[in-house]
Amino acid sequence: MYNSEPIISLKNVGVSYRRRAGVLRWNKYWALNDITFDLYKGETLGIIGRNGAGKSTLLQVLAGIISPDKGVITHNESTVSLLSLQVGFLPHITGRENAILSGMLLGINKSEIEKAMPKIIEFSGLGEFIDQPVNSYSTGMRARLGFSVANQMDPDVILVDEVLGVGDVEFKKKSAAAMREKISSNKTVVIVSHDEKTLKDLCDRILWVDRKGMCVEGGIDDVLISYNQSY
Amino acid sequence: MNRFYWELIWYKATSELKAESSRSYLGFLWWIVEPALYMVAFYIVFELVFQRGGPGFIPFLLCGLIVWKWFGSVVSGGANAITSNSALIRQVYLPKYLLPVSILFNGTIKFLIVMCLFVLFLLLNGVVPALAWLSLPLVIIIQFLFIACIAGFVASVVPLLPDIKLILDNVLMLLFFISGVFFDISLVPENVKAYLALNPMAVIIESYRVILINGNWPNFIMLGLVLFLSILLLYVTYHIFKHYDRVYPKILI
Repeated sequence: MYNSEPIISLKNVGVSYRRRAGVLRWNKYWALNDITFDLYKGETLGIIGRNGAGKSTLLQVLAGIISPDKGVITHNESTVSLLSLQVGFLPHITGRENAILSGMLLGINKSEIEKAMPKIIEFSGLGEFIDQPVNSYSTGMRARLGFSVANQMDPDVILVDEVLGVGDVEFKKKSAAAMREKISSNKTVVIVSHDEKTLKDLCDRILWVDRKGMCVEGGIDDVLISYNQSY
Repeated sequence: MNRFYWELIWYKATSELKAESSRSYLGFLWWIVEPALYMVAFYIVFELVFQRGGPGFIPFLLCGLIVWKWFGSVVSGGANAITSNSALIRQVYLPKYLLPVSILFNGTIKFLIVMCLFVLFLLLNGVVPALAWLSLPLVIIIQFLFIACIAGFVASVVPLLPDIKLILDNVLMLLFFISGVFFDISLVPENVKAYLALNPMAVIIESYRVILINGNWPNFIMLGLVLFLSILLLYVTYHIFKHYDRVYPKILI
């Protein structure tokens, strides 16, 4: 199925955290252990695992936010971003200024965000509120703005941690639809989710991550069945 | 550093300035009012209570306070630069040195505005510009680099050893008292003077006074030493940042 070169490949990747064990004493604890897999261009990979299995840590490694303490990760000339909402929002500046700041933190050029601003305003449905300070927004409005900005991201690989839809019922539908469209397009996507339906709908392949190391990688149904039996 | 990051950090610094000023009624005016209030407090203590002032004490004190404030606020802000952005750096990759640099820009903009006002104040008080004023930009650049290296160094080590933050506040206070902000270092006893004169902030504050108030050229040898020291420490700091760039997000949990 994938005859192209992998876009990211991981070999025996592990991440350890420092845990305090008294005055000036620490011990290591491995949040992620021995993960090996390749991510191919255009595929959608799902990641499942129990709480604390290291799924979010794995996404941080893929995004290049943290470097592994063990093993090797190889990126083949690609931009990888974690889909994050409301990154770097400052409460006292306007929605428009926050959109630019947040967009730049997500790796979009300032001029591109300014160009996309009408789309952001339209998608968020904020109207003239865009020029009001964000601390006057409701939680829902903030979520709308956050999503609309993140929706403008266009990295080669997009990493999604549980967030598909946000806000009220109407916006949740709209944002989830936008996400699904993004995922089912030719984009390479890695998605962490506990929702089996989402995974079944969107993913080509699933990776089951466990504290002791990767368990299974394979077709959706096979992995989900053994995952559910492991309870 | 590529252009994208410069643009980002500039936008972040100016947005934070805007956010800061919209948090109070006086807004931007606070950048001027705050040092003025600060100055009034010291004026009361040293001129009125201790009677230590004498003629020319106000410009002398103002100069010291303005110059110190730039250093002090950026360094103590730098100490929190990474820890206060822990949520941000866990979500996106950013070269971490951008965080203290953003605080440095923020503090520098404020300093330049207040410095312009101080020069205006001197001119209105009958100080005549001297040829030596031409060396002012050089002193500003050297202080900028000195602040950059100290704030950057502190920013890079505080996440690794948070206890340093607690020591730092006291070190800054000590440094404030021995940098000659409100007294003239050349008047202290000889045996102490030699040590006090080694303090880079004392050298810098003295240079501003010599240039602006006395109209003389500063001690270029001492300034050169400060510059050399700053570049050395900047180099070390750069490597600490590079080494821990993708480790900081893990430590800050």
